[in-house]
Amino acid sequence: MSANWSASPTGEFAIPLGEFAAWPTGFADPATSLAARQAELVAALVTGTSDPAGFDGARLDATRAALLRKRAGEAAKHWPLLAASLGPDWAPTFAQVHAGHPSLGPLCDGWDVARALRDRGELTPGAAGELDDAESRLFYDGQGLPRPHRGPRRWFGRR
Amino acid sequence: MVAAAAAGAAAVADLLCGAGIGWRPEIAGVVADLPALRFCEVIAEALAPTTPPRGVAELRERGVAVVPHGVRLSLGGAEPVEAARVTHLAACAAAVGAPLVSEHVSFVRAGGHEAGHLLPLPRTREALGVLTANVRRTQAELDVPLALEPIAALFDWPEDEFSEPDFLTELLERTGTLLLLDVANVHANAVNRGQDARAVIDRMPLDRVAYLHMAGGSERDGLYHDTHTDPVPDAVMALLEHTVSRMPAPPAVMLERDGRYPPAAELRAEFTAVARSAGHPQPRESGSAGERVAP
Repeated sequence: MSANWSASPTGEFAIPLGEFAAWPTGFADPATSLAARQAELVAALVTGTSDPAGFDGARLDATRAALLRKRAGEAAKHWPLLAASLGPDWAPTFAQVHAGHPSLGPLCDGWDVARALRDRGELTPGAAGELDDAESRLFYDGQGLPRPHRGPRRWFGRR
Repeated sequence: MVAAAAAGAAAVADLLCGAGIGWRPEIAGVVADLPALRFCEVIAEALAPTTPPRGVAELRERGVAVVPHGVRLSLGGAEPVEAARVTHLAACAAAVGAPLVSEHVSFVRAGGHEAGHLLPLPRTREALGVLTANVRRTQAELDVPLALEPIAALFDWPEDEFSEPDFLTELLERTGTLLLLDVANVHANAVNRGQDARAVIDRMPLDRVAYLHMAGGSERDGLYHDTHTDPVPDAVMALLEHTVSRMPAPPAVMLERDGRYPPAAELRAEFTAVARSAGHPQPRESGSAGERVAP
């Protein structure tokens, strides 16, 4: 578990962003071809839009698969029981759920897989407990980052 | 600026020497016991400058150099590097008394989406311009030298104008940065491009090397993947020896492992093998922490 060095749901130490007023200007026009090509490429890799012109499609497929495997590995750290319950099927199951969907971070990535398996009745008791634990600690609507539940609530969490 | 960078390279070679490892919380115990450990890297984005992990602080107190390694600055992104990320990297460097910091020749986000990993840039004049501007903005906030690491990639851009060694040489000259050469990345790219890795190494600006990376990987469907979760293959170890043979003195070298951690003895043996292959004699396996060998 990476909680001792990173408490953020995105797995990243919280960096305050948004203080760009004092940042020097004069950078290239963001509408340059490089900006557009980079945006097109990243969208193809993480959201499943069509590949930008000129790239080797098989290599982009391999990159998409590698990105999903990396995400699966990071999510497994937040969902050890869920990942262990699937064993070698963890990465393929993860890819089925997330192919073409951008990440909200490893916590949400694993959460989505847990809910998908729960809906199919395929959660082991250990993984179900892990999901219950997460649901009791945080509210996650499947779209935005998890946040504390509003109002008084009994805590069933193990922490 | 270039002359200053050359002087900087010499100073860095003095500051950073011997063998190191990528510090990760999962292997903190093994890292603390590595024989003749001279430096370690910490992922900058995972480091809280005011409260570095205890394991890192203890290594620092023992005289092990700590190098913040950024992975999300996106220096090659067509948008200006985010000021807060640069400030954070500089704060990390100050917090651990780093002799230098490092980042990648790469971009990780565009058009509002995070890629989730380091992506290759087109090796074009336009990309050189973007990189140079972002690197200079980063250097302006740093009190220590910046080393840049070429990444392993599974694809290239159709608009490439430069070979990778030529692109890097031009980038380092324009910015006065140092080279963090990942030997495993060179192997990966050479295999996946059908090139001779040794010939690529020979054309790299080795006089600008601050330190080397070594990592494991594996082949999958005919492509070499730089996984950091497999052992270092023999071919990568041999490429390290070739690289070192092209340098005037044994360079600082560092092992990266990012998951599927092996038993302690296995990781220790791999660390020792990497150190030896780079020309750093290692004490016999004794398990005593803090041993030092003459550089």
